[in-house]
Amino acid sequence: MPIPRKPESSVVTTCAYCGVGCGFKAEVSQGRVVRMIPWKEGKANHGHSCVKGRFAFDYYAHPDRVRTPMVRESIDAPWRAVGWDEAITHAAAELKRIQASHGVKSVGAVSSSRCTNEEIFLVQKFARVALRNNNIDNCSRICHSPTQFGLSATLGAGAASQHFDSVLAADVIVVVGANPTEGHPVFGSLMKRRIREGAKLIVLDPRRTETVTSPHCRADVHLPLKPGTNVAVLDSIAHVIVRERLFNRAFIESRCHVAEFETWSALVGDDRYRPEVIGPEAGLDPDAIRRAARLYAAGPNSIIYYGLGVTEHSQGSTGVMCLGNLALACGMLGREGVGVNPLRGQGNVQGGSCLGSWPHMFSGYRFVTDPDVRGSFEQEWGIELDAEPGLRLPNMFDAALTGAFRGMYIQGEDPVQSDPNRAHIVAALKQMECVIVQDLYLTETARYAHVFLPGSSALEKDGTFTNAERRVSRVRKVVEPIAGLADWEITVRLINATGYACHYDHPSQILDEIARTSPAYRGMSYDLIDRVGSVQWPCDESAPEGTEVLHTRTFPRGKANFMLTAYVPTRERVNDRFPLLLTTGRILSQYNVGTQTRRTGNTAWYSEDLLEIHPQDAMARGICDGDRVTVASRIGSVTLKARTSERVNPGLVYTTFHFAQSKANAITTELSDWATNCPEYKVTAVEITKVSPTAPTGATRPEATNDTAEMHP
Amino acid sequence: MTSAVIEVQKLIDMANQIGEFFAPYAPDQRAEGIRNHLRHYWDPRMREALLHHLDSGGEGLSPEVRAGATLLRDAERTAKQAYAGPPRPRPAGA
Repeated sequence: MPIPRKPESSVVTTCAYCGVGCGFKAEVSQGRVVRMIPWKEGKANHGHSCVKGRFAFDYYAHPDRVRTPMVRESIDAPWRAVGWDEAITHAAAELKRIQASHGVKSVGAVSSSRCTNEEIFLVQKFARVALRNNNIDNCSRICHSPTQFGLSATLGAGAASQHFDSVLAADVIVVVGANPTEGHPVFGSLMKRRIREGAKLIVLDPRRTETVTSPHCRADVHLPLKPGTNVAVLDSIAHVIVRERLFNRAFIESRCHVAEFETWSALVGDDRYRPEVIGPEAGLDPDAIRRAARLYAAGPNSIIYYGLGVTEHSQGSTGVMCLGNLALACGMLGREGVGVNPLRGQGNVQGGSCLGSWPHMFSGYRFVTDPDVRGSFEQEWGIELDAEPGLRLPNMFDAALTGAFRGMYIQGEDPVQSDPNRAHIVAALKQMECVIVQDLYLTETARYAHVFLPGSSALEKDGTFTNAERRVSRVRKVVEPIAGLADWEITVRLINATGYACHYDHPSQILDEIARTSPAYRGMSYDLIDRVGSVQWPCDESAPEGTEVLHTRTFPRGKANFMLTAYVPTRERVNDRFPLLLTTGRILSQYNVGTQTRRTGNTAWYSEDLLEIHPQDAMARGICDGDRVTVASRIGSVTLKARTSERVNPGLVYTTFHFAQSKANAITTELSDWATNCPEYKVTAVEITKVSPTAPTGATRPEATNDTAEMHP
Repeated sequence: MTSAVIEVQKLIDMANQIGEFFAPYAPDQRAEGIRNHLRHYWDPRMREALLHHLDSGGEGLSPEVRAGATLLRDAERTAKQAYAGPPRPRPAGA
C-alpha cells in the first residue's frame, strides 16, 4: 500500500457508515482525501474508529463513480449522457406526465439514510409539495421502522433512551439480535470495556456471535433462540419477572398506566409463557431463560441494546414493544446505565426516521392526518397538503404490479439489492414508466432506471447526520462533488422543475427550516453544532444544548404504556422440503450491501459472502468446508460457498449479505412486520445442496436473466 | 382478484396480521385499535379496497378484523371528521 501523502489540510466530519456516527478528521492532499483520522473530540467515538471508517474511504473516488447525468427512453436502451438541466427537466416532465395520465398518487419517492438530514427532509418535501402526495418513504422501512412504532407505543419516543457512554454505568448489558463487536464496533469496544470492569452480559441471538464470545467479551447467559421466536422468549422472560414478582412496583405506579401493567402481567404471566413451555419451542434451556430474567431484573442498572434481529420479523414491532415492557416493568429507564437502545444500521437512519420521510408522518413523528400539524407545514410551505397517508415502499412496488404506481424518485437506495424477494422488486420496477435513480454508481436498481442523477458522497457536501443515540453531528464538505452537485442541490432543482419554487443558499438554511417545523430539533442550528461539537435531540428552550438521557422525569405522553405482546408464530415454517432456517448478519470490515466497502481495500479481509452451516447438517448433505452450495427457499435460490461452523446450531444456517453477486435477497420472502411492513429478513426456510465446484456465485433463478443487462454507459 | 391499488389477498393478509396483534385486547379496544391502525397507516385506496371486500362478504378476514373494519367503514362513510386526528394519549390511569 502506498504511503499516504502528507496532508495539506483536514476537515472534521462524520463517518457515513454505521449508526455510531464517529467523528473523523478527513485529511486532504492535492484535492484528494488521503487519510481518515478518528477525531478525539468526537462525542460518539472519543477518538476511536473501526476498519470501515478508518480505511474504507476510497470508494468516493472509485472509477465506477458516474460523473454525468444520463437518460434513456427504455431500460433496454443504452444510456445517453446529458447535462444537468436536461436530466432534471426530463425527470420532472416524466413524473408530471404520469400524474396527468394516471393520477396524482401514481408516483412517489424514497430517501436514503446515506444522505444527510437536510437531504432527507428535502426529498419528503419534494413528495409533499411537488408531487402533491404522501408517497414518500425511507430505508428504515426495511430495518428499524418497528423501532419507531414499538418504542413510540410503549415509551412515547421512537429512539434510543440513552447516549452511548451510558453503558459505562450499566451492571447488566442485554444484547438482543445485534452483534455490536462487528456491526457497531466502536460502541462494541465501549461495551467490552464495561464488561471487563465486571458488567454481566446477556445475549439473545440464534448464532454464537463474536459478542457472545470473543476477547474481552463472554456472555454470562446466551440464549441461542430459534429465529422467529423473539417475542415468545421475551414474553417468557417477562413471565419469570411477573411470577417471581421481580418487577419494580414503585416505578410502575409512578411512571406507568397501572391498569395496563395489570393487563400485561396477566397476559405474560399465563402458563403458556412458562420457560418450560417456551424453552422447547425456541430451542432453549428453560433455566437459562430464568437466569436471564433474574439477572436483568436484579440490575441494579440493566441496559438493553438491540438490532435488526429484533425488528426484521413478522412480529418486529411486537418484539420492540416487549423490550419497552421489560424496561418499564423493572424500572430500567430514566437514568444513566439503563434504557432501551436500538443500534441503528446506517449512519443516518435515525435521521431518516426523524425527518418526515414517512407516508403517514411529518418530521417529529407527527401524523399527516393531524390537521393542526398539517396546517403548520401548509403555513411554512404555502401550499395545501395531502391529508391522507401515502404508500409505503413495499406497497409502492405492490401497486406497480397492479398499474397504480408508475414513477419513482429513488435517492441513494438500491431496492433490487436491499429489499426482499428480489424477483418481485425487479418485476415491479420493470412495470414503471419512469424510475429516477440518484446514486454514486450504476447500482443494481439503476439497471431498471430511465434517469440517472449522479449523487455525491458524504465527503462532498455539507449537512448533518443523526446517529443511533440521537446525536446530530456535522457532515462537512472535504472535496468538491465529483459530478458537480451535492444531493441536496439535485433535489432542489427537481422540486423547482416540478413546479414548486424554493431556494436555499446553504444546507444550514434547510436545518433552520427543520428547526422551525420539528419540535425535537427546535433549538438546532449549524452555529450551535459548530460551537458544542454535536447535539442530541430533543434540543429546545428547556434543553438548549440537547439531551443525553430521555424519560428522566416523565415520558413524552406523561405516563408510559404497557403493550400486550402475544406471541404469534411466523408463517414461515420449516418443512420436509425446506428443513433449515436461514438468518443473516454482518461482519466487521464490510458495510450493508457493500456498495461502498466492496470498492475499497477492505475486500482483502472478506472477499465474498459465506454460508455458515453446522458440521452435522453439512455432513448429512455431503458438504465439506469450502464447497459451493445452493441455498433454496420457496422464493428462489442462490449459490454460496459453505463454511462449516459451530457458531450456528444444527437446523440453522447463516450468511452475510455484503456482496451483490450473492443476491441473498433472491431467497428472502414477502412476509413482513404486521405494523410497518418491515421485511422478515431474519427467518427464511431453506434447503442446502452441494453443487458443482465451478457453479458461479449468486442467484440461479428466476430473475438472474434480468441481470444480464448492460451495466455501464 | 385485483383491486385498484394492491392485490386484495395481500390486503387481507396484512389486515389479519394486524388483527392477530390486537387479539389479546378487550373487544372494544381491539376493534378501535385495528380501526385506528388502518386509518392512520394505510393509503385510503388500500382502506377502500379492504372495505369493498368487507362489503362483498369479507371472505378470509378474521373476526377481529371484521369488527375493526366495520368500525372503520362507519367512520369513513358517516363521520369522517370525528376521527380525522391522530390517536390521542389515553388519560392517566386509563
